[in-house]
Amino acid sequence: MIVRVGGEGRGMRGIEDEVLVRQVASGDERALSDLYDRYSGLVYGAGLRYLGDRGAAEDLVQDVFVSVWKSAAGFDPGKAGFATWIFRITRNRATDLIRRRRARVRTVGEYALKPPFEPGEEDSAGRIARSFDVTAALSRLSPVHREVLVLAYIEGLTQREISARTGTPLGTIKSRTTAALRSLRENMLFEESSDG
Amino acid sequence: MDEREHLKARDLLGLYVLGSLDPEEEWEAEEHLRRCAACQTEERDLRKTHERLSELAGVQEAPQPEIKASLMGSLPRRGTLREWRHAPIFAAAAALIALALVAVFSSSGLLGRDAMASATLEPTEYAPQGGGELRVQEEDPNARATLEVWNLPECKKNEYYELWFGKESGRVSAGTFKVDEGGRETLQMNVPEEAGNYGQVGITLEEFPEEPRMYSAKPVLTGELEGT
Repeated sequence: MIVRVGGEGRGMRGIEDEVLVRQVASGDERALSDLYDRYSGLVYGAGLRYLGDRGAAEDLVQDVFVSVWKSAAGFDPGKAGFATWIFRITRNRATDLIRRRRARVRTVGEYALKPPFEPGEEDSAGRIARSFDVTAALSRLSPVHREVLVLAYIEGLTQREISARTGTPLGTIKSRTTAALRSLRENMLFEESSDG
Repeated sequence: MDEREHLKARDLLGLYVLGSLDPEEEWEAEEHLRRCAACQTEERDLRKTHERLSELAGVQEAPQPEIKASLMGSLPRRGTLREWRHAPIFAAAAALIALALVAVFSSSGLLGRDAMASATLEPTEYAPQGGGELRVQEEDPNARATLEVWNLPECKKNEYYELWFGKESGRVSAGTFKVDEGGRETLQMNVPEEAGNYGQVGITLEEFPEEPRMYSAKPVLTGELEGT
C-alpha cells in the first residue's frame, strides 16, 4: 500500500496546510502536489463511498484538486481550516456527480442505476468529515510521530514490523507510539477549536 | 503510588488502546488503570484518538498514481485560457477540444432573462452523416434547450446519447436521449443552471452502465454556442 496520509517530500517537513494553500494561490504547483499527497487518498476514499464507483471517484479527485487550484486565492483560514474547506468541496462535487447520475437514471429509464450514496445523510458522512480533520492533525505532527502512526494504522504494521522497517529500537517505537497518539490528540483539539 | 510505575504505565497506554501490548504488559497496564484516575482520563482520550485513526484507515484509499500525473499535467494556467487540446485529461474529447474557447454565455449573458443562444452541431468521425441544431431559451425559472438531431447511428442495446455543455475546465450534462430508426430526434431539455458559463456543446455516444468519461468520450456532434 502506498502511504500518502501526512504527505511526502516537502509535506513531510510539516508545512501547514494553510501555508501550502497560500502557495497554491500564488501558482506553486509543488504546493498543490503536497496537498494532493496529503488529501487525495481521503478524497478518493470518500468518492468511493459517495459514488460507489472507482472511475467516478477518480473524476472526483480530479475535480476537487482542480477546484483547489482555481479557488485557493479565495480560501479564508479565518473561517475554517483547509481540511474543512476541502471536505466541503469534496462533498459538493460528489453531490453534483450524483445529481447528474440521477438525471441520467430518469432519462435512460429502462436501465435503472443503483441509487448512489447521499453525502451528508448518514453517519458515514460524519466519519468522512472527521477523517479530513484527522488528516489535517496528522500533517501537523513531527515526521517521526506521523510515520509511526501511519505505519501502524494505515499500513497496519505491528510494533516489531515498524521497528524493522524504520531501523528503530522496539522500545523506542513503543514509547513513540503513545507520544504520537498524545500529540495527535492535542492537534485534533486544536483543529476542533479552530473550526468552531 | 510509585511514580516510576506511573510513568511506565502511562507510556504504554498508546499500545494498550492499540491492542499491541504483550499479555503481561497489558495486565500491568490494567492494574495501574484501576488505581490511577489520571491514566483513566488519558486512556479515554487516547482511545478516542485511536478510533479516529481507525476511521481514517477505513475511509482513505490511495488513487492510482496516473491520476496525479494527469492532474498536474492539466492544471489550467493562471490568467490565461489553456486550450483543451493541451490538457491530457480532456484530450479524448477531441472534437470539443478543437473548438475555439469563447465564453459566449458568460461574456454576453446569453442565459439572462429572455436571452437566447443557438448552436449548429457539426458531425465528427463517429457520425459523419450526422447533424443537429440546438436552441437555448430562457423559461422562468430555468433555461430550456430544444435539440434536433438527424442521421445519427441508431443506438445499440445499452447505448444512448448525452448532451453536454463544455468549457475549458470541464463539462456538464444536460440530459440523455435515443434516436429513432432514421437517426432523428427532437426534444426539449432543462439546461443546468451553470450552463450559462459554457461556450460549447457536444453530443456523445455512451454505453450503460459505464460512467461517461472525458478521456474516452465519443463525440458524435459538436458545436459552438452563439447569441442570436
